[in-house]
Amino acid sequence: MPKVLIVDDEPHIRLLLEQTLEDLEDKGVEIITACNGKEALEIIKKESPDIVYLDVMMPETNGYDVCNAVKNELNLKNIYIIMLTAKGQEYDKKRGEDSGADIYMTKPFNPDVIIAKTASILNIAL
Amino acid sequence: MAQVNFEKLISKRDLLHVITGFANAFNTPLEILNKDGQVIACLNTHSDTNILHQKNIPLSNNTYPVMLNGIAIGWVKGDQTVRVFSELLSYLANKEFEKKSLATDMLDTYREINLLYDIADKIVACTEVIDIARLIIDEARQLIHAPNASIMLLNNDDVLEILSAYGNEFIPKTRLKRGEGIAGNVALTGIAEIVNDVASDPRFVKGHNIVSSLLCAPLRIKDRILGVMNLSSYPSYAYSARDLKLLNILASQAASFIDNAMLFENKMKTEHIKAHLQRYVSPQIVRSILEDTEGNSLNPSKRKITILFSDIRKFSSVCEKLAPEEIVKYLNEYFALMVEIIFEHKGTVNKFVGDMIVALFGAPFHCDNNEIQAIKSAIKMQQCIKSVGSRWIRDNFVTGIGITAGEVVVGNIGSPRHMDYTAIGDEVNIADRLQSLAKGGQILVERNVYHATKDVFKYEHFGKITIKGKEKPIEIFSVIY
Repeated sequence: MPKVLIVDDEPHIRLLLEQTLEDLEDKGVEIITACNGKEALEIIKKESPDIVYLDVMMPETNGYDVCNAVKNELNLKNIYIIMLTAKGQEYDKKRGEDSGADIYMTKPFNPDVIIAKTASILNIAL
Repeated sequence: MAQVNFEKLISKRDLLHVITGFANAFNTPLEILNKDGQVIACLNTHSDTNILHQKNIPLSNNTYPVMLNGIAIGWVKGDQTVRVFSELLSYLANKEFEKKSLATDMLDTYREINLLYDIADKIVACTEVIDIARLIIDEARQLIHAPNASIMLLNNDDVLEILSAYGNEFIPKTRLKRGEGIAGNVALTGIAEIVNDVASDPRFVKGHNIVSSLLCAPLRIKDRILGVMNLSSYPSYAYSARDLKLLNILASQAASFIDNAMLFENKMKTEHIKAHLQRYVSPQIVRSILEDTEGNSLNPSKRKITILFSDIRKFSSVCEKLAPEEIVKYLNEYFALMVEIIFEHKGTVNKFVGDMIVALFGAPFHCDNNEIQAIKSAIKMQQCIKSVGSRWIRDNFVTGIGITAGEVVVGNIGSPRHMDYTAIGDEVNIADRLQSLAKGGQILVERNVYHATKDVFKYEHFGKITIKGKEKPIEIFSVIY
């Protein structure tokens, strides 16, 4: 069963992403959420999700650190990491690349793009 | 409407963990059934895993419903103690339902926000008013149910005309006066409206379009209304306050973008006209023409003006001295200098005929003492030729000038496909005649010009000439400068 992990400290963004991916959940994708970087890393180690939607700006362990830990320290290169950054917020492309993020998207995200992207990575027909 | 999938809810690992823990604590085996009575989870006591397994173990036949909004969405089977599980699951299902409802609403709002962001991004690429209208209509139709949509703008006669439309039932010829019909009313009041039963609205103007329900919002910038945006449906549709709110947001975005684009278009048009006009008249006159919103300034009318003709003496023999390209180069330099002087004195260059310049003073715009301006201009022209840097011009472009004043018809004359701003009348012909009489460096004027300017300039009597069709001979004076 494919798994998608949503990591954001803002509950409403988690809820929104969860709701966005509901159709995929009906197709057998398991959606897991984490509200901070530390929790995210624990879940990633245990569950090794296929995709992680990762907020960049989080207190304590931020998105870059989580990404770096996953891709470089844990060497879990197969996990597809999508960094989320708020529009107008600085996204350090260099830092994103160094940490090994696969792509980044800006918030407000387009729900249709999120569904399409997730489905294509997981190879699910919509 | 949000829905709760009971099986999905039960399969959530956190929930299952808690329920299993409870079942163990209560020492109660139980089964969880879906609404059709099929077992979806079977919890044995003292099971050390959370994993679902379906085993046929004997159970009491008590079943307790898991209720959501008055409907059983599943069942819990076991002894009497499992009732509390059904209550817990009902409670959780209700919470899940509330969460889903909120999330659905939030996602809708989020989609709207996203779309508005999107419009702002896309619209930057649109400079044409029509493209903006199309884009806004397309985006509106993604958000709001609308088989038909249109953006109408008020024209100069205060009539709404369709700028862009979508749907079969919209006919581009639809025109509504401000205040007429529902759209006309919205353009008048500036307040958006929902009319879900168009037929019963007395304002509705029956046209070619079959419309049952309508949303209409003004395109407004502060107190100025540019037009309206309509969304409509046939068969009837229950438009909501949310739809109207969205349309209002879109319409206000559309208004400011359309307004900007129109300003830009006008600016470009003006710049284009200006660039062309500046070749014929001075910058001041260009400005006056552009500010003359009535557009009457160029219509033919009788006016009292001063006419100046200037011509190079023996130009044809001058031409033989050099190759045509060389001549053109000198001629352009000469014209540039002369035109500059004429403009400085508020004159308008009417035309060049070969080497001849025809200039008007007092048209298209009135100027005081236009006789004085014309003579000042003529003197400066003559002085300029004598002192110009190019020796060749000094020696060869010896010029004679003739000036007359009087009532002539001036304005745009010609066919609609080619118009010239020109003057017609006896005085024009006389000025041409005086020019031909003037020797190099000479400025000849008619008696009336002499009278009007004799306190300003010195003159000497030149003589009298007779003109065809005129009984009295014409008295001529030469300006001493």
